[in-house]
Amino acid sequence: MPITRTYLAKRILLLFLVAFGVLIISFIITRVIPARPELLWVGIHARAEQIERARKELHLDEPIHIQLYYYLADFFRGNWGVSWRTRQPVILDIITSLPATLELTITAFILAFIIGVILGLIAAINYGKVIDKVISVFSIIAASIPVFWLGLVLQTIFSIWYPILPGGMRVDPSLVIGTGFKPITNFYILDSLIQLNFPVLLDVLKRMILPVITLMMYPLGLTIRMTRSMAIESLQEIYVKALEVWGLPRSKMLYKYVLKNVIAPVIASLGLSFGYTITGALMVELIFVYPGIGYYVGMALLSFDYPAILGGIVFVAIIYSLVNLVVDIIHAWIDPRVKF
Amino acid sequence: MGLFPRDFFKFLVKRPLYTTGFIIVVAFIILGCIAPYILTKPEDAWGVTYDLNKAFQPPSPEYPFGTDAYGRDMLNRVILGSRYSLIIAVCVVGLSLIIGVIVGLVAGYLAGIIGTVLMRLTDMFLAYPPLLLAVAFASVLGRGVLTTIIALAISWWPWYARLMYVSVNSVKSALYVEAAKVIGLSKFTIMTKYILPNSLIPVVTQAMLDMGSAILEASALSFLGVGVPPPIPEWGRLISEGWVYVSKAYWITFFPGLVLLVTVVGFNLLGDAVKEYMNPRLRSIVAKR
Repeated sequence: MPITRTYLAKRILLLFLVAFGVLIISFIITRVIPARPELLWVGIHARAEQIERARKELHLDEPIHIQLYYYLADFFRGNWGVSWRTRQPVILDIITSLPATLELTITAFILAFIIGVILGLIAAINYGKVIDKVISVFSIIAASIPVFWLGLVLQTIFSIWYPILPGGMRVDPSLVIGTGFKPITNFYILDSLIQLNFPVLLDVLKRMILPVITLMMYPLGLTIRMTRSMAIESLQEIYVKALEVWGLPRSKMLYKYVLKNVIAPVIASLGLSFGYTITGALMVELIFVYPGIGYYVGMALLSFDYPAILGGIVFVAIIYSLVNLVVDIIHAWIDPRVKF
Repeated sequence: MGLFPRDFFKFLVKRPLYTTGFIIVVAFIILGCIAPYILTKPEDAWGVTYDLNKAFQPPSPEYPFGTDAYGRDMLNRVILGSRYSLIIAVCVVGLSLIIGVIVGLVAGYLAGIIGTVLMRLTDMFLAYPPLLLAVAFASVLGRGVLTTIIALAISWWPWYARLMYVSVNSVKSALYVEAAKVIGLSKFTIMTKYILPNSLIPVVTQAMLDMGSAILEASALSFLGVGVPPPIPEWGRLISEGWVYVSKAYWITFFPGLVLLVTVVGFNLLGDAVKEYMNPRLRSIVAKR
């Protein structure tokens, strides 16, 4: 289906509806469930007058629908509260830590997609042979592995027992001072490339290896499984069989006919697995002390920093909806059979 | 096992990988049921005592999984942990199933405004990444086995509501439903007597296969410190406790995680088996080879 303007408009409208729903749920979590919502806003160690001020600020003495109005107004004005831990506005913290998470998850996703499609195709071509069985078992394990456990195991092996890879942080602070590296966009790969600062680039990449491997496992397992089963099915199609009989080289057939049938559903399933990956980032960043949104929310959880927890989660939920929208559009663009 | 016809087992036996999955799942369920009665050191497992002289013992014949920071035998703790994982998984899936089936059934059969409202509500919950919503609820509700179950169920039911909705829609135009309408049965009777039994199987099957994910997510919550509190030896909790000592005592995190991995793999293998069994097209390809 060509992507029409009505389709785009419809989807964007839907995105706003979904974002509204996300906010309603977070309103229920922060203002309706807790017995004293003002304590979530200022912290348990706040003084009486601070608590009193918070009650006024949050309009807690007004009826619930008025509270919801102010909640939404505050959200769109960017007043997401102040983190108890960093003593900074939550929205500021989130914006500064977003690039780190994006760098990590996007790298993990791209690698999972490429490696997953290749391994899945190899398995499908060798259907029923040993190599297929090995890849299949690997994909099941990859899709079932607890990320936080894998992260700890990799960290123990590769940075404690055999210290060949750094076990944490985005970049070595002494290297930053030594080479005069300045974060501009906060995407460190991009920043170091702009400044032609290769020692920093190398260090950043080295520090990404373990977190990316950990984070990539779930989408990788899913991609292999999806690619394999789709490719096996499409290798059974009559027209593919006919081409085989006709004498088309296997590689050309795979590339021209099978891959096309495989890519669209694989992308759709990757979109679904983004939800798991982003929650995985929460634990992976915490383990590897990688200062992104996951680390921010994870630290907030460990210190009961509620404005940060809920601000971070709402933000991620909205990003998640956005990613799903993009994935759906790509899906529709690649696969003309998809109807909405 | 009324849900699986007898030839499912014939199908299973021919595929060693799926059989392994089935055995793992059955072993896990049995272990979860009998765990408290087979403990050799129950006080270690429940975590009521501690003996710092025995702390950080590496794996040995006496302590196959080593001991933790308080000198408790990890094997016993891991065994008891299976019970918590089983209870949490069964409750989360059961609770979500009940909510999801009711919402899906009502939304699917009544349609109209009620149906639209219910399904939009479901979409709102689905807008959150699965585990994050549970984390948000758990952080506000506080730590505990019950709150973990509630937080996970809140983030879980929409999937079943959606599935049930689709299933009900495919059943509701069947001839026997039309017939029931014609003889004047009430909407409630039609829903509970005719639609419910005929649309339940896909949802229930899916729910049973989701137990592995439920175990995994519960342990993730505990790892993040918002799930079950100490000294309960839930697997995620054990991994989280061993986290700080990972450089000097790897076994505290390693073994609970390994058992967790094996369990989840077992459920996923069984899930694959059921999916392949139910998809005749995939089966015919397998049979041809």
